[in-house]
Amino acid sequence: MVPAATVWLARVLRVLRATPAHLAKIGQVVLVTALMAGPASVAQTVATNTAAAPAWSEQEKRAIARHGPWPQPVLPDPSNRASGKADAIALGRALFFDVRLSPKGDMACASCHQPGRALADGRDRAHGRERLDRNTPGLWNTGLGRWFGWDGGADSLWGFALRPLLNPLELGASAAHVAQLLRGDAAYACLHHNAFDSTWLQPGTGATKAAQVPRPGSAGDERLMVDAAKALAAFMETLQSGKSAFDELHDALARGDAAAVARYPEDARRGLRLFTGRGQCAVCHFGPNFTNGEFHEVGIPYLIEKGRVDPGRQGGIKLVRADKYNLLGAFSDDASRASGSRTRHVAENHANYGQFKTPSLRNVELTAPYMHNGRLATLRDVVRHYSEIPEDRLHQDGEALLKPLRLSESEADDLVAFLVTLTSKTFPQVSAVAPICQPRK
Amino acid sequence: MTHNSGALTSEGLVATQRPHRAMRVLAAAGVALVAASCASAFAACDAKPGAMRAVSPNAVVLFQPRPAPIKVGELFALDVEVCATKGEARGVSMDATMPEHKHGMNYKPVVKKSAGNTWSATGFMFHMPGRWQFAFEVDTGAGRERVLHILTVE
Repeated sequence: MVPAATVWLARVLRVLRATPAHLAKIGQVVLVTALMAGPASVAQTVATNTAAAPAWSEQEKRAIARHGPWPQPVLPDPSNRASGKADAIALGRALFFDVRLSPKGDMACASCHQPGRALADGRDRAHGRERLDRNTPGLWNTGLGRWFGWDGGADSLWGFALRPLLNPLELGASAAHVAQLLRGDAAYACLHHNAFDSTWLQPGTGATKAAQVPRPGSAGDERLMVDAAKALAAFMETLQSGKSAFDELHDALARGDAAAVARYPEDARRGLRLFTGRGQCAVCHFGPNFTNGEFHEVGIPYLIEKGRVDPGRQGGIKLVRADKYNLLGAFSDDASRASGSRTRHVAENHANYGQFKTPSLRNVELTAPYMHNGRLATLRDVVRHYSEIPEDRLHQDGEALLKPLRLSESEADDLVAFLVTLTSKTFPQVSAVAPICQPRK
Repeated sequence: MTHNSGALTSEGLVATQRPHRAMRVLAAAGVALVAASCASAFAACDAKPGAMRAVSPNAVVLFQPRPAPIKVGELFALDVEVCATKGEARGVSMDATMPEHKHGMNYKPVVKKSAGNTWSATGFMFHMPGRWQFAFEVDTGAGRERVLHILTVE
């Protein structure tokens, strides 16, 4: 009985074109099963295992390899002298949750970037003092970015933090207000001193000045406000999510672990093939963080309300060029200004109008609703959008790659199943912690 | 032609349609004649390790990315040597596009003359994987010569 089953098994495997490594694994399972239950059971087991783990082609493996490894290191930001410093991270964490940052005492960063909502807010468009124009982006893994905000209007994480801080429709703070908070709270003053005060650049001179807390006055206040934003940036750099089911597949393929590869869900596997293959999604959602960090117009209307449109990247380029807090400005701690190369070279052209940043797809399951204005409620809606993308709505000079994918219902389900496997299984805890500071001598 | 290994493949830009056999023979003879007459002018732009070479009837561009290989999403510079068949290359402008996607880069390179017939350009960035086409616009003195080179970045 067993030899007959083995011959039959060999035939089946030839037909199914299993790889030798895969065959060996399956063989172990099948032979044990065969000894226990006979040929009928053999047939069932072979079909189940093989269907669950068809071999990936070398091309597919290379495509998957480009999306890892994970996590990626967040390199110290040369424009932020407090980047990576524990005291700056502690100060940033405390400020992130502190409603005193807003002059009215009723709004903090965490009001919109809520820990329980993947550091977004679950709304279509953000609500500050009034309803804003864009969706609140989640902050997980934001330290890996190079442009910040849907329009890329900030070229650093600390510049990004300054935008809501100063926007009258959001926290609406001023330099004097933030400086007063940092000077007036003993723990904040201590953490600031430890993280920033060893040396600090004199704006515009490139010279360093010996340790001292910037004194009250407009220049000192502005310096302290930027330091607060840099502390927030140092904290945001730590917001890295852990591995996902996709990362486990990535790692298993890299080490040739067929059993672990086979654990990846079959529908997600089909979706991944669509994502990297016919869908060409990976061209823009590129690399370990599933974004190329650049800007595209994807057929989402940018009319905000009658008579008002969102220019997207075009406005973002104007903003960042005019921003005195950009990486080419006096507030960058990178004396070489090398970190400002992108800002120096960024090109403005008419195709930028209505472009928005390609969002990372990591943890995308947790950040509904979607797109720059939260127009699409579910991942299924997003997939349907790309399946039926209205070509007549796309910018004439836009990305020619965008064509309706014409997905079947089951293909759309598969693509969603794949996207769900990008959800991290672990996240560092993000919560308000009372700051503790040991003054440094 | 230099082919970078790994994530980068390159190809010179040649005619995209296959011509009639007789035309091919004539064209080959023509190319041989041009090549012979221009051998001395192009000698300075001979292939070098790590460099890519793009050729047009009246100019050769030898260029090397820095850092190499080119990675998607990362800024790079180009060190460029230009040789013209007649006289000297007076200037060169540079750009890159994705022909299939019908768009260029999101960044504008800045070109600076180095020494002799060499230039350097900073501010290139390929923000998507796929086929990119470098375009070198060479001022040969006798006119402008467009030299193209396609490579695939993964």
